[in-house]
Order: sequence, then structure tokens, then C-alpha cells
Amino acid sequence: MFENVIDGIFSAVFLAAILRVTTPILLPSLGALISEKAGVLNIGLEGMMLSSAFTGVVVSAYSQDWFGAEVGTTVGPWLGLLLGVCVSLLLSFVLALFHLDLKGDLFLSGIALNIFGSSATVAIMFELTGDRGNTSTLASLQMPFIQLPEFINDIPLLGGFVFGVFDNQSVMTWLAFIAVFVVAFFLYRMPIGMHLRAVGENPEAAASVGINVKRIRYMALLISGFFAGLGGIHMSMGYLQLFQRDMTNGRGFIALVTPSLGGGTPIGTMVASSIFGFFDALGIRMGSLEIPSQLPQSIPYFATVLALVIYALQRRISQRVSEMRTASGAGFDAQFWQAIQRISILHMLLMMFAVIGVVTSGAILAAPNGFGGAEAALPAGLAIGAASIALIIMGLPFVSDIFRIQKRWRESAAVTLVSLGAYLSIFLSLFVELPIALAIGLAASAAVWFVIGGRALVGGK
Amino acid sequence: MTNKRKGQAAASDSGTAVPFLRKHMLMIVGMVAGAVATLFITQTMFGGSVEKMTGTASWQNILLVNGLVGACILLFVVELRRGAIRVLLTVIVALLLGFLVTFIFNLDEASRFERGEFRVQVISEASPVDNDAVDLRYNRARGGEFNKPNVVEPVSEVAWTFAGRAGDVVSLLAYAKNRRSPVDMLVELRDEAGLALASATSASELQVDETFDDLVSSKDAVIEGYTLPADAVYTLYARPEDISAATTYSEALNQSRLAFEALLLGPIERVNRWGVWIQDAITLILLGLSFAIVFRAQQFSLGAEGQLYFGALVSGIIALNSPNVPSVILIPFIILAASTAGFVYGLIPGALKAYLGANELVSTLMLNVIATRFFEMVLNFQLKPPTAGYVASEKFTANAVLPVIVDKTQVTIAVFILVVVVFLAWLLIRRTPLGYEIRIIGSNLRFADYGGVNSRRTIMLVMAISGIVAGLAGMHLANGIHRQLILNISFALAFEGVVVALLARLNVLVVPFTGLLYAYLRAGAQFMERDANVSFEVVRMIQAIIILLITAEALVSFFQARQKRADIDEEGHAVAALEVADG
Repeated sequence: MFENVIDGIFSAVFLAAILRVTTPILLPSLGALISEKAGVLNIGLEGMMLSSAFTGVVVSAYSQDWFGAEVGTTVGPWLGLLLGVCVSLLLSFVLALFHLDLKGDLFLSGIALNIFGSSATVAIMFELTGDRGNTSTLASLQMPFIQLPEFINDIPLLGGFVFGVFDNQSVMTWLAFIAVFVVAFFLYRMPIGMHLRAVGENPEAAASVGINVKRIRYMALLISGFFAGLGGIHMSMGYLQLFQRDMTNGRGFIALVTPSLGGGTPIGTMVASSIFGFFDALGIRMGSLEIPSQLPQSIPYFATVLALVIYALQRRISQRVSEMRTASGAGFDAQFWQAIQRISILHMLLMMFAVIGVVTSGAILAAPNGFGGAEAALPAGLAIGAASIALIIMGLPFVSDIFRIQKRWRESAAVTLVSLGAYLSIFLSLFVELPIALAIGLAASAAVWFVIGGRALVGGK
Repeated sequence: MTNKRKGQAAASDSGTAVPFLRKHMLMIVGMVAGAVATLFITQTMFGGSVEKMTGTASWQNILLVNGLVGACILLFVVELRRGAIRVLLTVIVALLLGFLVTFIFNLDEASRFERGEFRVQVISEASPVDNDAVDLRYNRARGGEFNKPNVVEPVSEVAWTFAGRAGDVVSLLAYAKNRRSPVDMLVELRDEAGLALASATSASELQVDETFDDLVSSKDAVIEGYTLPADAVYTLYARPEDISAATTYSEALNQSRLAFEALLLGPIERVNRWGVWIQDAITLILLGLSFAIVFRAQQFSLGAEGQLYFGALVSGIIALNSPNVPSVILIPFIILAASTAGFVYGLIPGALKAYLGANELVSTLMLNVIATRFFEMVLNFQLKPPTAGYVASEKFTANAVLPVIVDKTQVTIAVFILVVVVFLAWLLIRRTPLGYEIRIIGSNLRFADYGGVNSRRTIMLVMAISGIVAGLAGMHLANGIHRQLILNISFALAFEGVVVALLARLNVLVVPFTGLLYAYLRAGAQFMERDANVSFEVVRMIQAIIILLITAEALVSFFQARQKRADIDEEGHAVAALEVADG
């Protein structure tokens, strides 16, 4: 059972699935990134995605009537893309108009657009199809899928794997990943991209050197609407082949966090979106286990909250370190403190796993029937909960105060060894005997600790 | 009592020499408006007859609740003053736009005249001609269905032949099969060359009522008493009548009018519909209070949905596990437990925001999903009886259900709980040190920090306190309305709470009015959907328009300039709370 899941994770099929589910997060994330860089975070992404997804489906379905079946099937998806993106642009223009010209609150106007996107699509869908749930009665089309040339499959070693991952991906997926680099070029290599970042960082200063702040922000919101539109098109014409009510399912909101998790860069945003894609795909795959499907379904949302926490903690620590750096001047040992920072991030990650443990045990205790009955599940739930809480209590001092890692490095090492060792051994015990797994796990975690920073601590100071 | 003080304070600016009427103007306007509304609602509910009212069970309580509705209107007028006009204008403009949308959606309403089952008949007293090659015989009906939806080749016209002799007096009928079929018919008599000899598009009242039994309405078509010129095979041609543009628009207008009548008067037509309105309003007001409190501190927490689910789950579990505890003890305990659940679930994003600076908008949205999934999981695997066919817990026992105060509805003692909660929320925001800190943080965080406010603690607490109210909303849904735990218990009400709070301009004393108003629209939308086949979602579009218009300050700058001054005199932050700095 578990083996199936594990095997599945390390396969080309799974990586292909990650790319597929990352696309509808990555595209709006790029939009969120640009709007955030201009200082006008676009909260309305969700509504824009929904409206473009719906428009795309309707246009592609009706284009077969308009142009006849043959022309319609080739032109339809692209016309759907065009009009879908136009609708999304229109909504982002409304948002920009209400925020920048009519002085409405950006946050609330965005919420209004989300409500509008969600309700207008359902209302129009009801008018067109008489159905409230989805557009399965419309013969809508999909964006083309790109087939790789066969010879890649024949390349020895990696060829088959690469072919398995990249073959038969939607054109939107390729577009999304190419767009990352286009956005990077736009933001960092084009004058207008620099103006945009300047407006976001300090609008007054930007205005004082003659940049038209309002025009730049209009542009940023329109671009973010453009990407949200592309993401919506992928949802209904690539990921699925129909429109479902509220089908974006919070992706427009997840897209709001990925830029900050990715450090505010396009590449980082891509990595952060892929992490979400990974958890999304994992949640789908874990559906085959005999546990309540709600648990894997909520993984991406947990991951967001935890990522927010890690991001905040990490930012605070690096702030403190940079303060120290300015205070101590030339005598500052940068490498040593970087090692400490790395260890503190390791502690945080371990804590997060422990938090997931607490949550899992909470789920088991709350609904033991979902985990194979009260007798089997309750002790397991209690054990997981107790162990996780113990790990949290042990790790907390090192997360809240990085100087403690320096002062009591032996304790820090022990905590890392116990918790990381425990996780690794549990994971390994799926493949090998328990004693061997334990040994390998402990050894591996000791090695990890030593490599990422322990060396510097043991070595002196 | 409080209102009186407010009224005086408001009027005292203009000096003491003004006459009594002027001084208490706002109070008087508010009281008149409240009284008129109370009377109007009661009058519509009972059709204006006192006997009918006193004949209804628990009519005193209905009157009491209607009185409270009037009091909410009084508070609304007294608290918002000129702002009240703006709120009403916004709602009216949004309703007009909604009417336009409904009208556009109904433009195809006239096309129903082109669809439906029909019959045609050739009536004659002459004996039928023997001819097997034709389609129709005298006095035998034949029919079909025009433009049937979802058919590959729908029938759009028929041309059926019949044999006739010279001198036969025939009447050609084309009519809808029954009253349910809306088709509007046209009929023609054609000779062998295909030339029209006679045609008709309608039937007179006399023909419908007396001459021909089969006719349904005047939309049917009749050619009466035509004398055939020769022995020949004639053709009866029938199709739905062409729809003129005037018909299209008048039908669309008519349907939209019907829909809006259901929307605007539906909720107060009968006691049970009134109950739907009031019970929805209680939930919405609680949610609106929750948002108003947390938005006051400029914290854009949208966690009410998750807190609601936790409140509902906790109160549901307690209700299911204590069948024998007397109601007097159990209900207060459930209330306490639900508030605690909401408090704790609000504390999480509060602490994340206050101590780690995690964006509360994102964290609360994520926590909402987690709470919903958790609720689903527990309900599905633990609370659902094994034999149940759908996902829901067992019905609560009577001791765990909030006592009903109006028969045939689910209007419960939650009304009184609500009054207490509104009072406490007002006390918190306006009369406690914590409320003062909340308001300062809301108007200027940096200033609050300089002024020595422990802003971290306050931010955390305000998010947790708003959780309490949202948890109570969950308790009301579980133990007051559904009386069991069901999937999707909130019906995405939480976002609507945002509108309620915003319409009230984050003033906790105005939230009851805006909650009632919004619940009225929602209840009306249900009846609109039922009575007029207009999608419920139209009302959510209206909601989106309301938010856009209410936040667009520049759109109403001519109101704003005067009102801002007044609001700042009063509280110093009501408007500021809506003006968020860029980014």
C-alpha cells in the first residue's frame, strides 16, 4: 500500500503530474508576483481565473457552431484563449479603475471581483446549460498537447525518463514555464520592469523622478490579469475539459503567497509553485491509501501555513544576523553565522514535521473510524501525538533563539539526531528491516547535521 | 438608552437654542422609520387583518421580533446619519444593476413560445374522405412537439395533408397540448400548389371558451368555417408564431418584474418565509459582527468560515453525546464551548500575524479550508450513523436544540443571544480599554506603537475575539437551524458576512440592520429562484457590485467630505478603517 505510493512518487508519471498541476498555480503566481512588485497585490486572481476559464469553455464550444466543426476544432481553443484572457483583462481593468481612480480599497475590490467571478460564471452557466455544477453538456475543446519527437525516447539513460515527463503536456504548461523567464527578463532587463519595481518599493521616490506611478500600476494589474486568464484557461481547457463551479478551488489565493515564499523572484516563484504542485499531486496519489481523503487534500493548505511560518521565522533570523554583522563590523565571521542559520532552518523544518505529526494525531483521535477503528487507531494516534509534542518541546528553544544553537550546540545536535533520525528511519523502514533502517537513519541525520553546519560548531568557538 | 445619548450628542453641536424637533431630529426620523417598517412587515405578513394575526400561534413573539427589526433601523439611522443615505443608495443602485442583469438573462424568455407540445386538427361536420395517402382525417387530432431541447433535429414546422371535397366547411385548429405547453401557434390552409388560402395566428375568447373544446388559450390559432373550393388534397401548415421584438422585451421585463417582486416582497409574505429571513439574518449578523470587530483593527482576517465550522463541530459533538442533560444546563454549556472553539481557532492566525508577521489573509483562507476538511472528515467517519445514506449526523435530541420562539419556523432564542452579543460587542469596541486599543491600531498602527499600545497582544486578541462570534454563528447553524451536522453547513455564508460588516461601515450597532437587509435579499433570492426561475447567483452578483460601490470613496466624494468630518468627530476612525493605505 505505502510502497505503491512511494514507487509512484519516484516515477516519470508523477513528475509529469506535478508539471500539470503546477501550471494553474504558476501562471497566476507570476501575475501575483508582478502586481506585488508594483505594490498593488491583485487579490482578485481567483475571480479572474474563473471568468476566463468559463469564457474559454463557452467560446470553444460555440466556435464549432460558428465556424463549422472542422475549422471550429482548430480555431476554437485559441479563440477561447483569446476571449478568456480578454475577459480576465477586463476584470483586472475594473479592479485597477476602482482602486487607482475611484480610490476603492484594493483588498475589498479584489474580494468583490472574486465574488463576481464565482457568481457570474454560475449564473451564466445556468442560463446556457440549465446546470449549476458544470458545463459537461457543452462540447468544449482543449488546448493542444505537445508531443515530443520519438527520438528522445531512444536516447540512452535519461531519454525515456525525460520523454515520460515532458511528452504530451499541454501547450499551456510549456507556456507557463517559458513565461517565468520572460517575466524575469521583463522585471530585471527592461527599463519598464525597473520602473515597475521602483514604484513598488517607493512610490513617492519613483514619482519624484518622473515615473507615472498610476500608469505603471494599471499596467501591473493588467499583466497580472493576463496571467490569471492564462491560468484559468489551463484549468478548464487543459487540466480538465469542462468548467466546474468554483473550479479554481483556492489556487488564486495560493498564488498570492508563492511570490513571497519564492523570495520575490520569478525563479523562486516557480520553485514555490512547484512545491505546491508536488503536494497537490501527492494528495491525489495518497488517495489510494486507506485513510480519509480529506487528510491528503488539506496537505497543500497546511503547507502554505507552515511555509508562511518558516518564511517569517527565517526572515527574522536573517534580520538579526545582519544586525549583528553591522554591529560587529570587520570581526564578523560570516561563514560561521551562515552555518548557524542553516542549522536553525533545519530545526524549523523538523518542527514543521512535528506539527504535521500533531495534526495527524489530532485527525486520528477525532475520527478513529476513518483509520481502521478505535482499537487500532487510538493508541497509534496518541503515540504519534506524544512523540510529536515531545519533539516540538525539544526543538522550540532552538527555533526561537538562534544563539542557543551556538551556546548549546551539543543539545542542538542531539535534537536534530533524534528527530531527523526518527523521520528517516520511519521512512526507510518501509524498504528495509527496522534495525538497519534505524542505523542508516541515525547515521544519515548525523551526516546531514555535520555537513550543513555542525562542522563549524564542532570545530571551535 | 444608548441611542438617546447619541442623539443628544449629535445634536448638541448645533447649540442649545434649537427647538426640540431639530434637536432630536435624527431620533425622530429613526423612530418613525423603524415604526413604519415594523408595521409594514407585520401588515404584509398577516394581510392587514388583526384577527389573522391574533389567530397565529406565538404572534406576540413575531411582533417582538418585528419590533427588534424596527429598533435595528433606528440604530442604523442614528449611528450612520448621512452615511445611511449612502448605504441605501448603494443598495438601490446595485439592485437596479441586478434588475438589468435579470432582464438580460430573461431576454430568451419569449423563446418559450416557440417550444412545446402541440396538436392540430381539421374539424368538419362532413363525413371524412377515404384516402390513405394523406396525413390527417377530419376530427382526428394529430400532434408533436416543436423545437424540443437537446434533440438532433428539432421539429420547427409541420405541413400535413388532408383530403377535402368541394363545399366541405372545415375549421383548422392548431393548439398547445395543454396549459403547461407555452407554444404560440400559427396555422395556414394551403392548396395543392402550396399557396396559402387562409391563415390565423390566434383564437378569440369565444372560440376558446365555447366553440372548440380542445383549445387552451388565445395563443392557439383557428381558421373557422372555411368552405373548401374544390375536391383536392389540402395542406395544413402549422408552426410557432414569430416572436416580435416587442414581445421579447415585454416578456423579459415581465419576468424580471415577477422575479424582483418575489425578491422584494417574498420574505414577508408568510410566517414560514419570514422565519427563513430572520434565521438567516441571525447567522449573518453574527458573522458580520465577527468581521466588523476584526476589520476594525485593520486585520483582514477572513477566518470566520473556519471558526464557524469549528464552533458547529464542537457544539454538534456535545449535543450528540449528551441526550439526558437538561436543556437549561446543556444550552449554556454548548454556547460556551462553541465560543471557546471559535476563540482558539481565531487565536492561531492571530498569533501567526502578531508574532511572526504571517499574512493573515492567506493564513486564514488556508485555515478555512483545513477546518472545512477536518469537519468533513469527522462528520464522514465518526459522526455519520453507519446506516445513513448521506453524510449527516443524527438529529440532535430536543434538549440540545435551541428553544423555538415562533411556531413553524426556526426562529429560536438565538434572537436574545444575538441582542446580548451585539450589546457586548458594542461594549467591547466603545467602552473598554481593549476596544480603544483596537480602534487606535485600526486607524494607525505606528501611532499605536508609539502610544504604548501592546499591539501584538491586541492584534492576537482581536482575531480571537472575532472568532468567538463566528463560533457562535456555527452553533446557531448547527443547534438552531439544521439541528444536526451536515456537509457544507455554512453555505459559504462567511463571505457574505464581509458585505454585512462593510455595509455597516464596521459599526457594530449598524451590523444588525445591514445583516437583516442582506438576509432579506438572500431569502428573497431563494423565493425568486423558486417563483421566477432566476438564478440565486444573481444576488451574489449584486453583492459584488455593492462591495465595489461601497469601497469606491471617490465615487461618492460629495457625500464623503461632509460625512468624514462628522465621523471623525464621533469616533475618529470609522471612515479611516475603510481607507487602507496602498499595498
